[in-house]
Amino acid sequence: MVIDFLSYSLIPLFSALAIPFIARKNTRLVEVLTNITLIAGFINVSYILLSYLIKNDPNIITIDIFSLLMIFIIYLVGLAITFFSSNYGIENETNPISYYSLILIGVSAMSSIVITQDIFSLYVFVEALSIVSFALITSNNSEKSIEASIKYFFLTFPASVLIIFGISILLLNNPNLDFLTIKDTSSKMLSIIGLSIIIVGFLIKSGIVPFHFWTPDVYQGSYSPISAFLAGIITKTGGIYAIVKIASLIINSSLNYYLSKILLVSGLLSVIIGAFLAMVQKDFKRILAYSSISQMGYIILAAATFTPLGIIAALFHIINHATFKTVLFLNSACVEKQTQTTSIDELKGLEHKMPVTSWTSIIAMMATAGIPPLSGFWSKLLVIVALWKSGNTFYAVTALIASILTLAYFVNLQKKVFFGKLPEKFDTLKEAKAQLLIPVVVISAIIIFSGLFFNRIYSYLLKII
Amino acid sequence: MIIYVLIYLIIIGAAVLAVISKKLINSAIMLAVLSIGVSLLFFSYEAPWAGVFELSVCAGLITVIFISAVSLVKQDDEEFKEDRTKYKIFPLILMAFIVISSIFVPDYFMKISSFAVYVNNSNESIGKFIWLYRGIDIIGQITILSASVFVIKHIFFKKSDALEEK
Repeated sequence: MVIDFLSYSLIPLFSALAIPFIARKNTRLVEVLTNITLIAGFINVSYILLSYLIKNDPNIITIDIFSLLMIFIIYLVGLAITFFSSNYGIENETNPISYYSLILIGVSAMSSIVITQDIFSLYVFVEALSIVSFALITSNNSEKSIEASIKYFFLTFPASVLIIFGISILLLNNPNLDFLTIKDTSSKMLSIIGLSIIIVGFLIKSGIVPFHFWTPDVYQGSYSPISAFLAGIITKTGGIYAIVKIASLIINSSLNYYLSKILLVSGLLSVIIGAFLAMVQKDFKRILAYSSISQMGYIILAAATFTPLGIIAALFHIINHATFKTVLFLNSACVEKQTQTTSIDELKGLEHKMPVTSWTSIIAMMATAGIPPLSGFWSKLLVIVALWKSGNTFYAVTALIASILTLAYFVNLQKKVFFGKLPEKFDTLKEAKAQLLIPVVVISAIIIFSGLFFNRIYSYLLKII
Repeated sequence: MIIYVLIYLIIIGAAVLAVISKKLINSAIMLAVLSIGVSLLFFSYEAPWAGVFELSVCAGLITVIFISAVSLVKQDDEEFKEDRTKYKIFPLILMAFIVISSIFVPDYFMKISSFAVYVNNSNESIGKFIWLYRGIDIIGQITILSASVFVIKHIFFKKSDALEEK
């Protein structure tokens, strides 16, 4: 445990526990308290990051850079979700006190996941995160959301069983479960078997092919701001991050060849199957969900190379993908609120009436597809270079071709939803409230700037390994 | 030997009562008693770690969660009024247990403490060991506990509000 970062997980936790006592009836106070907690953490972590990026002084940060970047993105997405929810009118559909408390506990658990230095603690916090998201999915109490929640329950809790089973195998020849100890013993057969079982558990949790069946239903069915939270950060910290962390531990192992091959195949299948299935969907949120599966595939491909460059690429793509998917899912929530539908056959020409929503979506879509100079281009470039340099040229070329598929389904989505002639029934359509647009505009700006100032970020990322 | 038989009897009795009891809260308490028995067994089979975690997690944490959950659905539970006369035998059993255990248990606890003090051949007690090396898991427990409380609030309260409106 990096003791310096402990406050990032403790403050949201205590704030969550304080909410029911401080604000019993006043919903506004709950919102203010939640947002202030996350804004404070966000300003703190972005000050540390920015002071490093601008001054480029290596002495500012002496501790775990990997964790700091993840904490930044967790607070960014968490803040976007709470800010969005406080203007979305959630008090009509759910209990605000437990809703915001659960989001804060989720942020706390995720911060703990990224700062912990021990695989058992990581498991404990992943469990806490699963419990939180299981309840949050049902927030609006609709039939679809309860179905989604049950699906989530039945697929992620068996995954937890696999993880704890893997940990018990690790304990057979490790004196303790520290990351450093695991790194030292990673060339032993039993360690690799245990870590492989743990990785399978996390693959289920992050919805990689062949375990992807729950993701589209859950993302589509859950309460709209929560699908952004889920797709934006929960499946990344609770699933993919752990895989990347484990991959960073077995870089030097002599036995990682077969694990690497299996992960590469699974990642490539995710990239291709996710992209093809996204093309044939008729629902805005479902397309985004399949796109999520496809992009997760890139992260797995990068991590599966087991090289330092691959780990950097995976981490950078996690961060970029969190920003894209938050923007897109929040925009889909705005579209759903204004038009009461997410079916792409009914939506058309929204660009005329909802310009901000449309253009932030288009920025995020272009970034996901990897159009330079947006941030998605650089992370995909890093993924492909890492694949190429590690000798997996076939995977590199296929991943490159599949990124054209990403562009294809997003151009199709843009054409159908945002461009074209506005149907008559949308004549009275209005842009969403300005407060709902602030988070997406800010995150879109981050997407653009992290693309433009990539050289600084890259020199920062190089210090991870 | 007799102490093991006693522990096994407690475990079986608690398990049976947890199943047949009509009130959920009694089931929860019986489950806690069962866990305490199991943790004593763990101690007696020289597995202090398992005993400590069984005691803290199963007997402590889970009981708190169960009881908080049960207290939230209390209204529905009161429809099943149960006959309480047969439970009047419990104080007698408890007294008998106290008398028997006061004879046997002190030796037993002395035996437990002899291997519970040192862990991994270091000079640190279990409590210190857990606090120093597994401190982060305590935050994990707090996180899971508070998450569970809010999950119950989030799922059950909403339902009861919706029912009242109907």
